[in-house]
Amino acid sequence: MSAVLETNAVPPLPETPPGRDALPPVRLDAFEGPLDVLLHLIREQKMNIFDIHMASLTSQYLDLLEAQHEMNLEVAGDYLVMASTLMQLKSRLLLPRPELDEAGEEIDPRAELVAQLLAYEQYRMAAEELNERSLVGRDVFMRSVFPEADEVERPLPEADLDALLVAFRQVLKRVGGKVRHQVFMDTMSVREQMGFVLERLKKGGVQLDELLADQPGREPLVTTILAILELWRQRTLTVVQTDCYGSISLVPAEAAD
Amino acid sequence: MKLEHRIEALLLAADEPLSVERLRGLLGEVGAAEIHTAIAELDAHYTERGIRLTQVSGGWQFRTAPECRDQVHRLWQTRPPKLSRSMLETLAIIAYRQPATRAEIEDLRGVSVSSSILAGLQERGWIKVLGRKEVPGRPHLYGTGKAFLVDFGLSSLSALPEIAQLMDEEESFTADEQDNTPEQQETTQAPEDAEQTRQEA
Repeated sequence: MSAVLETNAVPPLPETPPGRDALPPVRLDAFEGPLDVLLHLIREQKMNIFDIHMASLTSQYLDLLEAQHEMNLEVAGDYLVMASTLMQLKSRLLLPRPELDEAGEEIDPRAELVAQLLAYEQYRMAAEELNERSLVGRDVFMRSVFPEADEVERPLPEADLDALLVAFRQVLKRVGGKVRHQVFMDTMSVREQMGFVLERLKKGGVQLDELLADQPGREPLVTTILAILELWRQRTLTVVQTDCYGSISLVPAEAAD
Repeated sequence: MKLEHRIEALLLAADEPLSVERLRGLLGEVGAAEIHTAIAELDAHYTERGIRLTQVSGGWQFRTAPECRDQVHRLWQTRPPKLSRSMLETLAIIAYRQPATRAEIEDLRGVSVSSSILAGLQERGWIKVLGRKEVPGRPHLYGTGKAFLVDFGLSSLSALPEIAQLMDEEESFTADEQDNTPEQQETTQAPEDAEQTRQEA
């Protein structure tokens, strides 16, 4: 029964599975990935891409993988994923399946792979086409010296984020990673701010909100908080909060006693 | 002085392609049509020379003839750079599908795309980041940069050969295959539509 289904998939052309030893030795690093290998095998065996003989393609592909002595782990992953896809397709073709979908179209489990192969082949050809163009610096050249005259106003190059990134990368390359981290002096000191808080406390207690309201910016805020904590630690002042989420007041330590 | 000669002088002295509008600005009271005619004459004059007039990225530029590449490399003691297939395929996918994310390129090529390939293409100015795709991970969207048109001698992106035409040349040997082609192209389109739907959602 399975043999019957398999024969259905084979075109009427005399396309018997080719002998395995007919394949010349192939090195995978000559290829750009599993799709490239499959296209090579299909073209080599003159298979019709719309009617791929899965059994022979899968065995050829697996033979090719096995023949590799070493494979880069990252590259191997891509090839192994394809191997499992091929084997799954092969087994789906062997099993009985619905022949028509709801729209009455014939279902071909290979359709997705074929679409992928055709799409890849398009871009592979587009890449070849690009490579055949006359490329500046390789095939064609132009005059590139511009007279260095001060009065000539040279237009600024069009710059965008990308140009900046590229320039930055080049600078990094030039300095060879010798960029040092620079530490800047604080413009405010905690000590100074402690004096400020004490000054305010001389008049008795002060609300925290009130004290912080006079401190614009992140740095003054942080410095003031640090000053308050330091004073508290030194027991120069006490922090009082009577109820949960209520206002916080600072009082001189003597007054609290 | 003939207009043709003045344009010839400007194109030789310029260090970038000069557009017809730019030439008009430099030449004064001259119509665009006259400039086009003069350029066509120059172009014809240079077809059989060691220098060619080339239309790139919206302008005209003198370039050495590709047949003379070995002489120039000897002069500069350089070797013609070789572009890897992975680089060219990545570039082709970005050029035709832009904006494209790295994952889309990897799907089409069936292999992972190394960062060094993208960085190499970026350094040459052939590709650039156009923005981010609003999907999880917000991946970069790549498109071609101006240097792509200039370096590959393309007047604009629409001057790229049509991908379907490339296909037809290759596939026209069997009628049976051609019958199947439209159907297959639909299948190729499907993942893209799904992508769009996801983007909208």
